[in-house]
Amino acid sequence: MEKIRPVLGYIMAVFSCLISAAILPAIAMLSEPFITATGLTISPNYSGGEVVQTIDHGAYETHVHRMVFDDVLIGERKEGFIQVDWTPLDALPARIDEEIDADGDGQADFRIEVDTTTKEAMLTPYASWVLELEGAYRPKDFFLVRVHLKNPAR
Amino acid sequence: MTTSGRTEARSSGMAVWKAVLLMLPAALLSSLTWLGNLMGGDIDPLIVVALVASWLGFTVLFVLMLTTGKTYRYRSIMFILTAIALPLDFIPYMVETYGSMMLADDVMFSGGASFCPLTMPMIIIPALVKGVVIFPGEILPGTAKGAFSIMFILWVGASLAVGRGWCSWGCFYGGWDELFSRIRKKPLIKHKQIDSRWRYLPFAVLLAIVLLSAITFSPIYCEWLCPFKAVTEFQAPSSVLAVMQITIFALLFIGLVVVLPLLTKRRIQCGLFCPFGAMQSFLNKINIFEVRIDLEKCTQCKKCIRECPTFSLDESSLESGKPLMTCTKCAQCVDTCPQGAISYHIKGTPLKANPTVAKVLFLYPAYILLMFLGAGSVAAALYRILMLVTTGSMLH
Amino acid sequence: MLAWATGSLLAGAAGYEGLLIGIAYVGLSVLLLVAVLRKKAPSGSCAFEGARVTLNRWPAFLPIGMGFLVGLNICPPLLLAFTGAVSSGSLLGSLIFFLAFFLGTSVYFVPIPFLGVFRRVSALQIVGKFAAVIVALYYLYAGILLLAGGVL
Repeated sequence: MEKIRPVLGYIMAVFSCLISAAILPAIAMLSEPFITATGLTISPNYSGGEVVQTIDHGAYETHVHRMVFDDVLIGERKEGFIQVDWTPLDALPARIDEEIDADGDGQADFRIEVDTTTKEAMLTPYASWVLELEGAYRPKDFFLVRVHLKNPAR
Repeated sequence: MTTSGRTEARSSGMAVWKAVLLMLPAALLSSLTWLGNLMGGDIDPLIVVALVASWLGFTVLFVLMLTTGKTYRYRSIMFILTAIALPLDFIPYMVETYGSMMLADDVMFSGGASFCPLTMPMIIIPALVKGVVIFPGEILPGTAKGAFSIMFILWVGASLAVGRGWCSWGCFYGGWDELFSRIRKKPLIKHKQIDSRWRYLPFAVLLAIVLLSAITFSPIYCEWLCPFKAVTEFQAPSSVLAVMQITIFALLFIGLVVVLPLLTKRRIQCGLFCPFGAMQSFLNKINIFEVRIDLEKCTQCKKCIRECPTFSLDESSLESGKPLMTCTKCAQCVDTCPQGAISYHIKGTPLKANPTVAKVLFLYPAYILLMFLGAGSVAAALYRILMLVTTGSMLH
Repeated sequence: MLAWATGSLLAGAAGYEGLLIGIAYVGLSVLLLVAVLRKKAPSGSCAFEGARVTLNRWPAFLPIGMGFLVGLNICPPLLLAFTGAVSSGSLLGSLIFFLAFFLGTSVYFVPIPFLGVFRRVSALQIVGKFAAVIVALYYLYAGILLLAGGVL
C-alpha cells in the first residue's frame, strides 16, 4: 500500500490536468445529456410552471400554465399563482380580453383584460379562490400576467 | 542569505526552454478551443486580434511564472485581469440585451439572469428534493450569458481539478478583492488586530444560505448578500425591497471588496465572507493537491502567516505542517518563505518528494482553468475596448 | 403535531394569522440575537430539580423527558422553527419541518463523540453563533414584512 500511494497520487495529479482540460468540451457535450438525465427544470416560481393549455388565436397563442402551489421544499403552499402568457409579442393585439379556466374543469375561473402596450391589466375573478392580479410583465418574446390564487385543495 | 545577512525567498524557477516546452501543450489546448470560434463565416478582425493578444499575454505570463518561480505574482496579474475583464464585457452585453445592467421583473420571468457557480450551495437541496433549480436563469445555454448546466459542469470539473484552488485560479470575482489588497505597500490594520474568529463567518454564511434558500425556495445569497452584483447585474430598484437589497450589496462591495482589503492587504471578501469558498474548503478534501510546510526547514519566522491573503495560516499550521482547510493555493506563502520550506504537494506522495514536480502538476490544471475562464474573458473585454476605439461604442 | 394544531387554530382567525406570526418572528428573532450576543448564560439553580431526580430514577424516560424539557426551554431557534412549522398549515409539513430541524441541529452534536475533532467543537460553536445571527436577521426582516402587511 505504501508503494502504491505515491503512484496513485501522481496518477490523480495527471488526471486533474486532464479534467481541467476537459471542462470546456464537457460543457459542450454533456450539458444536454446531464439535464435530460436529471430532469431538472427552473423553479416554477420563475418559469411559471408547465403549460397545460394552449389556445390558438391564429396570429398569436395563449398559454395557460398550471397552478403553482409547490414552489416550496415540502408539500404545497396555502396560496400560489397561475401564469398566463401570450406570444409572440409582436403579433399581439393592443388589447386582450380573455376568460381563463385555471383548474381545467371546463369552466372559466377568471377574466383578464390587458393592454399589451401599457402593461395595464384588470382581473375579474369568478371563483372564490382567485384572489388578485400579481402583475403584468413583458419579457422579450411574450406578455404575461400572474394571478394570485388560494389553494383550492386546502 | 545575502551578503547583508538578510534572508530572501529562494527562486525556484526553471530554465526558459523547459518552461516553453511545458507551456506548449497548455497553449495548444487553449488555442484549439478558440479556433472553433474562428472557423467559417465572416470573422471580425478585431475578434482575432483580441483572442490572439489575450492568448499570447496569458501564455507569456505562464512562462514567466515558471522561469522566475514567482507563481503568486504572475497568477495575481492574470487573476486580476480576469476580474476586471468580466464587467467590461458583461455590462455592455446587458445593455445590448436588456437595455440596462439592472434587471427588471420582466427579465426574471424570461430566464434572463445569468448563473454563476456561487449559486451552487443554495441550489443543491431544492434540486435534490424537488428537481428544480431555484434561480431565474436558463437550464441550458440560450440567451443569458451563463446557464445552469454550464456552471454546474464548470464547478464539478474545477472542484475535482483544483479544489479550493478555484478561489485563486478560477473565480472571476476574486480578482477584485485581490486588486484592492495589493494597492497599499503596508497594511493599516495589521494581521494581529483581526480577530481569528472571523475566519468562521464564511461557513456560517454557507450554513445560513443553504437553510434559508431551502426554506424560502429562493437564492438568498444572490438576492441579499452577493457583493459582486455591483460589477454584473442586479434587480432594478422598482420597490422598497429592491432598494434595500441594492443598498446592502453596494455596502458589502465597498466594505468587503474595496475598503477592508485596502486597509488590511488581505482578501477580506474571499477569506472572511464568501460561502462558496467555504463550500470549496470541504471539497478540497477530494482534491489531490495541497500546500505543505517542511517543518525541518521552517524557522518559525511567521512571515507566511503575516502574508497569507486568506487567513489560512496560523501557529497551528507551523506545528502541523499544513495550512488550514481554507487555503486557496495562491502560492503567496510558497513564494514568500525565506527558507523555501513551503511547497505544493501531491497527497499520498512522500513529504520530501520533488516539490517542482508537484508544483508543475498543480500549475497545469490551475493554469488551464485560468486560461479558459480568464483569457476568454480578457479577449471579450479587449474586443469591446477595440470596438470603442474604432467605432466609438462598446455595443454591437 | 403541536405546531400543526396551533396553525390550524390560527387559520380559523385568518385575518390575524399573519399578524401573530409576524409578531412571533420579530420577537423570537430578537430573542435569538440577544441569546447569541450576550456574553454569559445566567447561572442559577435548575428550575426542574424534581424532573432531574425523576429522570435519574427512571433512565428509560430520559430521551422523552429531555425532549419535553427542551420544548419548555425558551430556545429561540426551536421557537422560530415552531413558528415556521405553524405557518405551513399541514400536519405532514409540520412533522417534516421538525424532522429537518432535528437533522439540521444534530449536525452540531455529531463531532462531540469523536475525540480526534474535539478541538473543533469551539469552531462549530462560533459557526453556529454566526449562523444564528444571520438567520435571526432574516426572520426579523420576514416578521417586519408580515407586520407591514406586505407593503414592501
